[in-house]
Amino acid sequence: MDRRTFFKVSWGSVGVAALLSAVGVSLTAVGRYLMPTVFYEPPQAFKIGTPGDFAFGAPTFLVDEKIYVFHDRERGFAVASAVCTHLGCTVAHFQSDQKFHCPCHGSVFGADGNVQHGPAPRALDWFEVTLARDGQLRVDKNKVVPPTYRLMV
Amino acid sequence: MNIFREVYQSIVRRDPLSTDKGKSELVFLNVWLHIHPAKVKKENMKFRHSFYLGFITFFLFLILVTTGIALMFYYRPFPPQSYQDMKDLQFVVFLGPFLRNMHRWAAHGMVVCVFLHMCRVFYTGSYKKPRQFNWVIGIFLLLLTLGLSFTGYLLPWDQLAYWAITVGTNIGSYAPFIGGTLREVLLGGHSVGQAALVRFYVLHVAILPSLMILLTIVHFWRVRKDGGLSRPVWKLKAPSTAGLVTIGTSADAPLVPTQAASTTKTYGLMEVVTGKPIFEQVTPEEEEDTVFSYPYAFVREAVTLMATVTTIMAMSLFLNAPLEELANPAKTPNPAKAPWYFLGLQELVSHSALLGGVVAPALMVIALLVIPYIDRNPSRRPRDRKWAIWLFTAFVVVNLVLIVVGTFFRGPGWALVPPWVHVVGRPE
Repeated sequence: MDRRTFFKVSWGSVGVAALLSAVGVSLTAVGRYLMPTVFYEPPQAFKIGTPGDFAFGAPTFLVDEKIYVFHDRERGFAVASAVCTHLGCTVAHFQSDQKFHCPCHGSVFGADGNVQHGPAPRALDWFEVTLARDGQLRVDKNKVVPPTYRLMV
Repeated sequence: MNIFREVYQSIVRRDPLSTDKGKSELVFLNVWLHIHPAKVKKENMKFRHSFYLGFITFFLFLILVTTGIALMFYYRPFPPQSYQDMKDLQFVVFLGPFLRNMHRWAAHGMVVCVFLHMCRVFYTGSYKKPRQFNWVIGIFLLLLTLGLSFTGYLLPWDQLAYWAITVGTNIGSYAPFIGGTLREVLLGGHSVGQAALVRFYVLHVAILPSLMILLTIVHFWRVRKDGGLSRPVWKLKAPSTAGLVTIGTSADAPLVPTQAASTTKTYGLMEVVTGKPIFEQVTPEEEEDTVFSYPYAFVREAVTLMATVTTIMAMSLFLNAPLEELANPAKTPNPAKAPWYFLGLQELVSHSALLGGVVAPALMVIALLVIPYIDRNPSRRPRDRKWAIWLFTAFVVVNLVLIVVGTFFRGPGWALVPPWVHVVGRPE
């Protein structure tokens, strides 16, 4: 390789590298700009009321939180997600068969949240429920627990 | 000189339209018309060759831009005001329902016409050399049309909008590695909410229309540069073997094709570019077949424009665009259905979200994009390309069947319910 070619190739590579990194940095910046830094969304951990607010038997559906709160006389509290694991529709709990039914694509989840029918890829989530110091129940959607998890109050 | 005459002549510089020069100058001295050639082949303008589907699609896009801008005057992209604005447009604003109906029906019509246009181009083999790349641009225009429809679908912020977008964006989140992040960036959050509405609005009124206009310009430009409107298949000449001349060679020597220099004429930029132009070669009898764009092509376009606008207006007088109740994240309607052109996709998704929602559509788009490059058959005549036509027809039929099943045969809980059965009560 002669001197002229050497400089042509090396400066050319520097130019291409500079251009590529500029494009890369710009694209990364655009991507980061589009990804929100703050989510003005409801918190993932929240209080839902005192244990006495929840009747025994049929679960209570909390609309804004999209959860079902089960209160059993012997076994205590359990909280299930009402968001279908397939495409995010809100499942309905039927007292008649003790199952969760998704209206969008017909997924059916058993009483323990496991998939019994339809395209849902995995079971419904169960969330940790604890008793806060002020005597209220506290649900943390970031903490997924096994379906056997119960809180006795 | 008369001042009015001077003003007129400063604007209109062409010769009178009674002359051939004037007819040509009308085209190439006019910024709006100069995308046309001065002369067109009469046969290529036949309705039964193209059904004018490209023009109709473009005119529907013009209707969408016009009515869309009108609707923007009354629309705020913030929930729940968006829904109130829809109610205002529906019941308070003068001509509001009419404009919204036009926007909605033109949008549906555009999806239909883009698809039919694609089918026409396929069946007439018009994607073949040298038009391969324009087919690719066309596929991107199809995807942009679907993107515009999808983003527009959320804006009314009713139940239909909310759940169609919830389902639609969840389909995307099944894409490996990037799916979840992609959905978060698109929605600006973890679920469909205020941030999502603003993002969809920006995409719908600024980004996607700009891309659409850019690609449309390229698409039209390429039609010109790739040789104009394609030749109708019934005018295609059979590959001739009669012109082969074997005089002066031994009997087993390969045949040498010859062509008399005087029978064809190639139009190109003489002495400016070198190499063989890609334009179609024109024989003298074909040249006699050409007519001036004014008035032959322009009249046909004007009639198509008027027919398109009239049809949409008539539909908008009698059919109202749907508007359901305010979006309610807690209550999923049963069944929750995506827009009809995505119901084939939803039907696939009801069997497997990853295969049906990501893999199958991705493969479909890739297959469409590479068609002109894997189809090596140079012939455009249907009888020479039976396989290609069968395969494409199968693709069209499968899509239509899935859409019909998703639209008419899926009831509550996505159960198979024939359209003539009325379901009462909850599903089991």
